[in-house]
Amino acid sequence: MLLGITLLLAGACKKDWLERQSRTILLEEQAWNDPKQVVALLANFYDRLPVQTGLQDINNTGADGRIAQWRDMANFDDAMWSGQSNEDGRNNIAAYGFDNWRLWNYSLIRDINLALENMMLYGTKLSDAQKTQFSAELRFLRAYDYFELVKRMGGVPLITKQLIYDYSGNASALQFPRAKESEVYDFIASEMDAIKNELGNDGSVSRANRYTAMALKSRAMLYAGSLAKYNNLMAAPITTPGGEVGIPAGRANEYYTKSLEASKEIINSGVYTLYRANPDPGENFYEAITAKSGNREVIFVKDFLTPQKRHWFSYDNIVRGIREDNLGSSSISPSLNLVESYEYLDGTPGALKIRTADNSDFIYYDNPQDIFANKDARLYGTIVYPGANFKGLPVGIQAGVMAWNTATNSYTVVEGSDLNTTYTDGKLLTGSSGPHRSIQEVSNTGFYLRKYIDSRARTSTRGVQSDVWWVWFRLGEIYLNAAEAAFELGQTGEALTYINAIRDRAGFGPNSLTTLTTDRIRNERRAELAFEDHRLWDLKRWRIADRVWNGNVSNPNAMIYALYPYRVVRPGDAARNGKYVFVKMIAPRFRSPRFFQLGNYYSSIDQQVLNNNPKLVKNPFH
Amino acid sequence: MQRFILSSLIIAIIAITGCKKDNYKPPTSILQGQVSYQGQPIGLRSNGVQLELWQHGFEVFSKIPVYIAQDGTFSASLFDGDYKLVLLRGNGPWINSADSMDVKVNGNTTVDVTVTPYFLIKDAAIGQSGTNVNASFTLQQVNTSLPLEAVRIYLGATTVVDQVNSVASVEKAAADIPNIGQPIQLTVNIPSSLSSKGYLFARIGVKTAGVAELLYTMPQKIELK
Repeated sequence: MLLGITLLLAGACKKDWLERQSRTILLEEQAWNDPKQVVALLANFYDRLPVQTGLQDINNTGADGRIAQWRDMANFDDAMWSGQSNEDGRNNIAAYGFDNWRLWNYSLIRDINLALENMMLYGTKLSDAQKTQFSAELRFLRAYDYFELVKRMGGVPLITKQLIYDYSGNASALQFPRAKESEVYDFIASEMDAIKNELGNDGSVSRANRYTAMALKSRAMLYAGSLAKYNNLMAAPITTPGGEVGIPAGRANEYYTKSLEASKEIINSGVYTLYRANPDPGENFYEAITAKSGNREVIFVKDFLTPQKRHWFSYDNIVRGIREDNLGSSSISPSLNLVESYEYLDGTPGALKIRTADNSDFIYYDNPQDIFANKDARLYGTIVYPGANFKGLPVGIQAGVMAWNTATNSYTVVEGSDLNTTYTDGKLLTGSSGPHRSIQEVSNTGFYLRKYIDSRARTSTRGVQSDVWWVWFRLGEIYLNAAEAAFELGQTGEALTYINAIRDRAGFGPNSLTTLTTDRIRNERRAELAFEDHRLWDLKRWRIADRVWNGNVSNPNAMIYALYPYRVVRPGDAARNGKYVFVKMIAPRFRSPRFFQLGNYYSSIDQQVLNNNPKLVKNPFH
Repeated sequence: MQRFILSSLIIAIIAITGCKKDNYKPPTSILQGQVSYQGQPIGLRSNGVQLELWQHGFEVFSKIPVYIAQDGTFSASLFDGDYKLVLLRGNGPWINSADSMDVKVNGNTTVDVTVTPYFLIKDAAIGQSGTNVNASFTLQQVNTSLPLEAVRIYLGATTVVDQVNSVASVEKAAADIPNIGQPIQLTVNIPSSLSSKGYLFARIGVKTAGVAELLYTMPQKIELK
């Protein structure tokens, strides 16, 4: 009896007791035969695309290749740091390090190569159409990552298949030299042309379709063209003997042409239009980046979704006076330098009118916002300035009062030791949003960020957070890419069409420009694409970063300026009393001029990487 | 509870005594030297130009950066051993040298690094003239492989004066210098922050195109009248 039961039990267990499938590990056959699993994997790769600024705080370049450092927005000339004082080093960068902006995320490249090969090997149940589309998408992601690598490091090894070590003790078969800088750009262009008809995903903004591929090509070819042109215009071009850095000048036109063709394919497709849903041009520009419904301007975004995937960008950067949390706010403060790069609507340069022409007195304004009247509407859409509203609320930006001293016949500047303080006349001294010279988490420049800040209720709290998306590509940039490429190719008329379309949307009216210069195009890019991770790369490819940010305190482009508004207290002078005046100064918390050296044009390669692969050559100046 | 205290005490004792034994002593040998051309020290930007020291034979292989002071001197505290000294390419205002120097550090060691600059500043005379500082000098082109970009004068409140640490500066671009052999004049207005102090420091710098750093004269103190 007992024997019988034992036999029965043993017999019952036998069959698959030791051969069960794991419940926590997916096998290759399972992963590559289920389209849902493949899409999940793609989502992981999309999430891992690197960006220098972005809206998140991720720095994982080693393990899986992610990088997104929104705080880096405060490291250049469009903004400074006004948040927690333990990050004040961003205002005191003695010189950009040669390892800044470094990227070497072959972990992502390898995962994509592995996915491409394994899907073909194991994916027997996927249809050919599915395989083609997934492959195209994987190749888009790989090319995008190579673009991020080449714009930072110059030519990098082009690895397009998985590398397997044979345990022979000799790893030289796995060591590849750097490709030429031009070869990486050529690779991106040819990959985009090859896959654009296979991508599918029509109408999607978070997965790549053919226009996303053309947008990447448009930007990459523009970079390659300007590198070919402007690097060789330097007194001593930055090159390496093997071409890992440096593109021959003769290729500039070819690259510009390719960029223009790609841009035109997007513009002429009619799939995308500049966002013009809001009749107010300033609000409209803000919505063009943040509105998720009815937005046919954005081409490719990193989307966020409440409640699953959110970010802290609004918590960290909301205007101080209307923050909904008890901490945070104000970190990225736009500079006066950026504010003044927005032109007046009549086309005159954007320097603000602070003092009378003979510099004898202030100019007096009835309301703080009056000094910003008749400005490019993108100023409103990008920046919260004194007197502007956000979320329908007044923001309260006032530094203090200018009290008239009749004894000395001059003004005494009075600033509050805290926010929301009252002057002896019972009216406001320092506003609820500052600016303040020293308090942390208060704007130090007098300006706050509007672009990318969530306008919905409670999104600046730690509990709710924000789901505003990050824009990789939008039609506005494509217009500017097309304008720049056309201008470089001598097609000024066409360039004017594109740039005037952008300016029309910004409130300048149709055909606001009739002539064009390089400086105008560059300024237009700064105004339109501020805080969208373009400024650094643009100055690098134009080869002017070392002159704009030359580390000299007497260079106004290398310093960060602030604009402090004051209320005038001058009883007995009705023309001036109660009016507002403005003082321009170097931002008090800003310490060290921006200093970009020749060795910053290409980031240094990590010594560990160089040690592991003796075939790699260093970048110039390192 | 008693057992907890006892065991944490034991851990603490182990932790404290454990550190003692196997820690390395800090490096005691000093390597020092000067960057010079024909015996003349080269003036540089403070903390701008880097020498690299490399040491083979250890698992960690990464450079020890040694920054050169503005009078061309440098020093580093090191362990005794054999090092390779390399000039960072394109960094200092001199010709790149692919060769490394072997440096044997044994106790305090002095090493002189000789370089060939692209330009030298000769016969520099800096003086006050009313509200301005005038400088006059000649350039000597030592090597013609890279062109001149500009010459500049810098004024500062302390002896540390250079491209980054200055209160005022004036530049003359190469295009405005028709003949390099002729004496060059630079004039810079004295800013009020310096004139109120009663003295200032001035330096002339020459920028070679394609090289990150300038070559400077030694800072000169000027008493304002």
